[in-house]
Amino acid sequence: MSSSVSNPGSHRAERDPRSWRDRLAAGSPDSPDAPAQLNRAFVIGLVGVALLVASAFMSWTYNPALLGNVTLYGNPGTVQIYLLVMALMALFLLLIRKGPLSRLGRHLGRQTGLRALGIGITLYLVIAVGASIALTDDAMLGALDPGVYVGILGGLLVAAAGHLLPTHKAVGERHQRFPAWLEILVVVLLVALALAAAAYGLGIGDPALFVAFLAFVAVIAAGLARGGFFDWLSIVVGHHRTVLLLATFAAAFAFPLTQNGSDANMSIATSVLIFAATAMGLNIVVGLAGLLDLGYIAFLGAGAYVGAMLSESAFATIDWKPPFIIVALIGALFAALLGLIIGSPTLRVSGDYLAIVTLAFGEIFRLTMFNLDGNNGPDLTHGPNGIPAIPELNFFGFDFGATHAFFGVPITRFANYYFLLLLLIGFIILVFTRLNNSRIGRGWIAIREDEKAAEAMGVNVFGLKILAFAGGAFLAGLAGTVKAHQDVSVTPDQYQFLESAFLLAAVVLGGMGTVGGVLLGAVILKLLPEKLRFFADYRLLLFGLLLVLMMRFRPEGLVANRRRQLEFHDDDEALADEVEAIHTEKVT
Amino acid sequence: MDLLQQLVNGLTLGSLYALIAVGYTVVYGIVQLINFAHGEVFMIGAFGGLTTYLALFQGTTAWWTLPIMLVGAVAASVLTAVVMERVAYRPLRSAPRLAPLITAIGISVFLQELVRLFYGKIPGLPDAKSRLPFPRIDGVTGPAFSIGGLDFQRPALFTMGSLAVCAAFLWWFINRTKQGRAMQAVSQDPDTARLMGIDVDRIIVTAFALGAALAAIAGVAQGLQNNNIDFRMGFMAGLKAFTAAVLGGIGNVAGAVVGGLTLGVVEALASQLGPTAWKDVWAFGLLILVLVFRPQGIMGARVVDRA
Repeated sequence: MSSSVSNPGSHRAERDPRSWRDRLAAGSPDSPDAPAQLNRAFVIGLVGVALLVASAFMSWTYNPALLGNVTLYGNPGTVQIYLLVMALMALFLLLIRKGPLSRLGRHLGRQTGLRALGIGITLYLVIAVGASIALTDDAMLGALDPGVYVGILGGLLVAAAGHLLPTHKAVGERHQRFPAWLEILVVVLLVALALAAAAYGLGIGDPALFVAFLAFVAVIAAGLARGGFFDWLSIVVGHHRTVLLLATFAAAFAFPLTQNGSDANMSIATSVLIFAATAMGLNIVVGLAGLLDLGYIAFLGAGAYVGAMLSESAFATIDWKPPFIIVALIGALFAALLGLIIGSPTLRVSGDYLAIVTLAFGEIFRLTMFNLDGNNGPDLTHGPNGIPAIPELNFFGFDFGATHAFFGVPITRFANYYFLLLLLIGFIILVFTRLNNSRIGRGWIAIREDEKAAEAMGVNVFGLKILAFAGGAFLAGLAGTVKAHQDVSVTPDQYQFLESAFLLAAVVLGGMGTVGGVLLGAVILKLLPEKLRFFADYRLLLFGLLLVLMMRFRPEGLVANRRRQLEFHDDDEALADEVEAIHTEKVT
Repeated sequence: MDLLQQLVNGLTLGSLYALIAVGYTVVYGIVQLINFAHGEVFMIGAFGGLTTYLALFQGTTAWWTLPIMLVGAVAASVLTAVVMERVAYRPLRSAPRLAPLITAIGISVFLQELVRLFYGKIPGLPDAKSRLPFPRIDGVTGPAFSIGGLDFQRPALFTMGSLAVCAAFLWWFINRTKQGRAMQAVSQDPDTARLMGIDVDRIIVTAFALGAALAAIAGVAQGLQNNNIDFRMGFMAGLKAFTAAVLGGIGNVAGAVVGGLTLGVVEALASQLGPTAWKDVWAFGLLILVLVFRPQGIMGARVVDRA
């Protein structure tokens, strides 16, 4: 059956016939017509860049309500400055192929980068203008000035140049080393840039401009990714993991300081962090141990309910109010216990069946919380009304509800929770990476790839699976106790199946078994719906579509774990060699 | 007497589960895929029936509209299932098992939202964001029969009758037609079946279509029973039907019918003996127990041992 299915990821295999366009555009660097082709592509590209720059200085529309006013000639608006930046990047990618910068081309010289950038710029114009028209009622296509069309033409020319550029085998890309200080500098600069971009992007109020900004970031990222920059980056990051981790945490800690005491973005940021923390926990279960859990939200709910029932809320149903540290531990242990109860008998069944059992368990949890309302059972949860009025956390007199000053910068309620959650997520990431790089992690990989073989090799399959399941539940329970306080109330419908699906989607979208990928996935899935409120009605539709498309075209996620990627593309020989090379490099 | 009445109710509910469960089991038997979006196929069947009615017979309640509604329902469901198989599942056939399952969740959410957002945008059709009333049909809806103190709802009789007819048809199709035998061959060994000249892709599509047709009938039956349908009806029904399929032994068609009826009766008895609010908990509890202690189900099927 498998032979009839073509594999989208295996372009590199030599027997694989390439599409006619690739063959036309490629030509080997040694063939005699390569310089002529290079010149032609170079000129086309330069014309495209020139058109883009011209477009940035032209009027795009005579309607000042569109795109934050781009009606003026010679005075670029925000969206036009984005275009200008993209044009400069295209110019840079062109110049490293021919001209003074061509020495750099050895590292970044893939023509696919330019092609992706060109297509991206065209799409950027269409999306930015289209979104703006869709969001502003009084506008229509007739309100467009030539600037837009000049820009689109420029984008298409850049894409064409990318198509025509001869293939350039970037020599030794994978093993190119630079001085350590330079590599560290790149990592730190990138993290700082990401922080600045996040602070800037969240500050954009106009939804059309926000969409334009998103499209801008996506285009730049696509250009860099297709140009091979991220491949190089992943090697660099591999050498400086601690630097990246510290820089990221420093940036994350600095984020509330950029908000100037405003709670609007901080409340989004805290909900993103809770979601991300839970997704990281699920990542241990799904990404490392390969156990598909469709009821994971129940463990978060278990923690939240324990946190609520043992809190000082007037509606709490248990008359014992220990300090939060104890509550958090009890909540986490309770969730882990549930994990054990549901896990120990069911882990004997594997794969799909486990997924369904966990789904059923998730539903049972929700229904139970719904029914323990005094009518159908003991009154523990107040049923559908939930437990409201959960008081703020208070650590040794530090009130999480109040605004504190930190060197003159106000730290609001949400910022307080943000810091706490950041510590929590740091802890979860620590657990994750330590487990992944240990004997336990290797055991999980073995189980994931072939359970029977692993067992035959003496891996304690049952014990390791239980550890993953209960451990994941423990972390989710821990996050749940904090969530109860941050959300102020706990109700059963916060913990329905769809939430589990969202968590799983974050893990899958980002890249199973990776830290950065899952964080990225969580941010995308939680942040975008919050910022794109006008889109709210279509949110789930797009979510469903996204899952289907991801599985079809990039099942390994945005940030792919090499080994995982190989599991999804197991006839890709080049990738297999790469994974083996990395593995042996690590060992020696 | 109460117990007997609950038994009747349980069998009614069970017939509905059984009709849907066949879809899970037929597909699983052939491609070892849990088509998680099958509940949505059931929902689309119900909407297909309603659409046919609204487009052609609005205002009448004559009995002869029902067969045509069923045709409309089956057409909608089969089309959905076939497109789904072709576009989403077929490319993933050799992928790790996680991929089709996640795809199925995606399709499920997507189809629900598609109906919720766009059903009302079709001219002449009502907005599907809330519950939609289902048409009344002479003879099939209306006052219940009473035989020996037991109430038989008319739509319930329709549901049970449909199950009987469909089961007979399925038996005939699988055991007596060339297609059906090819299906058995593929479920036993796809590679050898291909060598024997069986078009495996076509058999898989047939399996999806067969399951969808039965789900569509169940969709109409559910509409007649509850007097209304909504875009969310597929999730819970799908989950229950999956439970039924597992209970009977997934991959075993007769098992799906037995499992459906058993699950219906268990649920009805559970609501007789305890608070109604807990009946879903009983159903899922049963699912977990079966999966743990007898994963091959009541009737026994292939032993499931897949990572």
